[in-house]
Amino acid sequence: MRNTLQYVLKKLLLMIPMVLVITFLIYWGLDLTPGDPISYMFSPDQLANIDPQKLAEMRELYGLNDPFFIRYLKWLWQLLQGNFGYSITNGVAIKDLLAQLFPATLELSLAALLISTVLGSVLGILSALKKGSVGDNLLTVAGMIGVSIPQFFFGMVCIVVFALNLGWLPIGGRTAPGMTGALAHLKFLILPASVLGISLTAGVMRYARSSMLDTMNKDYIKTARAKGLPEWRVNLVHGFRVSLTPVVVLIGFRLPTLIGGSVVIETIFQWPGIGNAFKTAVTGQNYPLVMMIALFSVLAVLMASFLVDILTAILDPRVKLE
Amino acid sequence: MQQQAIITVKDLRTYFYSDKRCNKVLNGISFELYKGRTLCVVGESGCGKSVTASSIMQLLPKLSRIESGSITYHAPDGDIRIDLLERNGKEMRSLRGADIAMIFQDPMTALNPVYTIGYQIGENLKYHTTLDKDARRARTLELLTQMGISTPEKRIDQYPHEFSGGMRQRAMIAMAMSCNPKVLIADEPTTALDVTIQAQIFELMEKLKTEHDTAVMLITHDMGVVSELADDVAVMYMGNIVERGSVKEVLKHPAHPYTSALLRSIPVLHKGKNQNLQPIRGSTPDPYDRPKGCQFGPRCDFFCEKCNEMPPESPVCEGHSVRCWNADQVYGSAVKAGSESER
Repeated sequence: MRNTLQYVLKKLLLMIPMVLVITFLIYWGLDLTPGDPISYMFSPDQLANIDPQKLAEMRELYGLNDPFFIRYLKWLWQLLQGNFGYSITNGVAIKDLLAQLFPATLELSLAALLISTVLGSVLGILSALKKGSVGDNLLTVAGMIGVSIPQFFFGMVCIVVFALNLGWLPIGGRTAPGMTGALAHLKFLILPASVLGISLTAGVMRYARSSMLDTMNKDYIKTARAKGLPEWRVNLVHGFRVSLTPVVVLIGFRLPTLIGGSVVIETIFQWPGIGNAFKTAVTGQNYPLVMMIALFSVLAVLMASFLVDILTAILDPRVKLE
Repeated sequence: MQQQAIITVKDLRTYFYSDKRCNKVLNGISFELYKGRTLCVVGESGCGKSVTASSIMQLLPKLSRIESGSITYHAPDGDIRIDLLERNGKEMRSLRGADIAMIFQDPMTALNPVYTIGYQIGENLKYHTTLDKDARRARTLELLTQMGISTPEKRIDQYPHEFSGGMRQRAMIAMAMSCNPKVLIADEPTTALDVTIQAQIFELMEKLKTEHDTAVMLITHDMGVVSELADDVAVMYMGNIVERGSVKEVLKHPAHPYTSALLRSIPVLHKGKNQNLQPIRGSTPDPYDRPKGCQFGPRCDFFCEKCNEMPPESPVCEGHSVRCWNADQVYGSAVKAGSESER
């Protein structure tokens, strides 16, 4: 128990330098891209007509003329004081912005995670247990297609089929004006969550299948059968329980990308989440917002790997946290 | 002394299939397991020892099947034809682990790493007895104590990786013995263990056999183990039992050339360095390209015309039978040599 506590503390302390280095690199990268927020605020024609003196004043006002290292330190100092800054493009406090964006992304991510985990594990297990059957081969091909098809294409095909042609579901967005009730809201979630979930399913399925196949060849499966256990118990309690570990690791490492928001899916479905906002912020050089989202993504990655470590230790008693 | 057979195997044939080829792994074997007696099955790797065990347990791989012959379990309430039961059906499952239990070769891999020892033993009890949770735990503790595991209260909640090899095999035996099986099949239970632990494990099995009147089928390739533990012995070669009988008879007066060659190839303790060991010439044939007739023919010193046909199993004397056309010659010389050495 003391070892575990030490481990947790050590891991958490190690995160600090990592966060510093990574945010610094992102800040630097942002500085290297051509243009700045000021040039994005105005259209090119306007920009040509504005007095350069005025532009310089504006840059000074936004603190864009300082060397980037100073700006980074300033940003960091503000952050440590709990000031997340304001969006350059519309002046909204980033804190409020994130409070709006985050629930939307979380909702979409959790739905997709649920779909991909359940569907992927179940199909993977069935595929492994019926190895070599027609169903297994079909699933293998489907998995390959699932991995290969880009999300934007799959998403658009789904929009065309289910929203435009069949008219079953809305094209995009999270709510419509005057909408109330969870059920009506669910209609908006179904399509993006399914597209994101199904595109993630293929990977989980392949993982679950190979892990399950590996486990079912182990001696202890024969022991379990020799004990006279029913087949479902041999497969699930002895087989799946052991093959769960690698699947959980895979899902754990996917967590941060989901929390950071799926840029592609959120853009296609006009989902007002972090991914969508991130895309707009990057193209707009809205660096305070980019930095905050990046910071959260970095923290998500680090926390996820931490979570995976702990989960593996819980799932597999042979693993010790040290 | 009248022995009570608990399992009778008659002319059992088990074939394995792969890519349209067929490996006749068991080619007509017959034997009995008796209450309170140990049958040792010996033979080289790949001769079908483990498949015999798997056939009785119906734990054969998917692409294999029992082609013909019968396995009969003489249950207290009437005979059960094991070979006719559905492989993973309810009846077969109710026998496995309860009436017929099995111990495997490698205790390192035969226990599930993610469950405690107590859980894995308790699982057996859960499916074959009506004991409730507390009673199962009590019984598990009792079993672990019987198996000579110290501090069982602590051990019961530990995981397999916290056990040593010998301990794990004890736990496996505890699992196998949990429902007091009528038949215990041990597939090379000590191959993965070191010699001192081997002796302890065998001692334990011997004790359980006499206490519970269990029939033991012990698969091994160690002749020392055979002479130490066996009441009966069956010698297998390429899917046949070439010779079987009481251990005294077979080891002293082997009637099959393979058995006698096997015995001559084994060093004997206390005989010093200059023993005249004779390896068996040639090598085991390809199971997909078997010799005609007697499988041992090409390697046999007594080979003759007749051997191109499989010899039937014929008795040599009371409780000792052999599959060889020239058994009389082999047996005669063994008896002669035996009486000479005694003089």
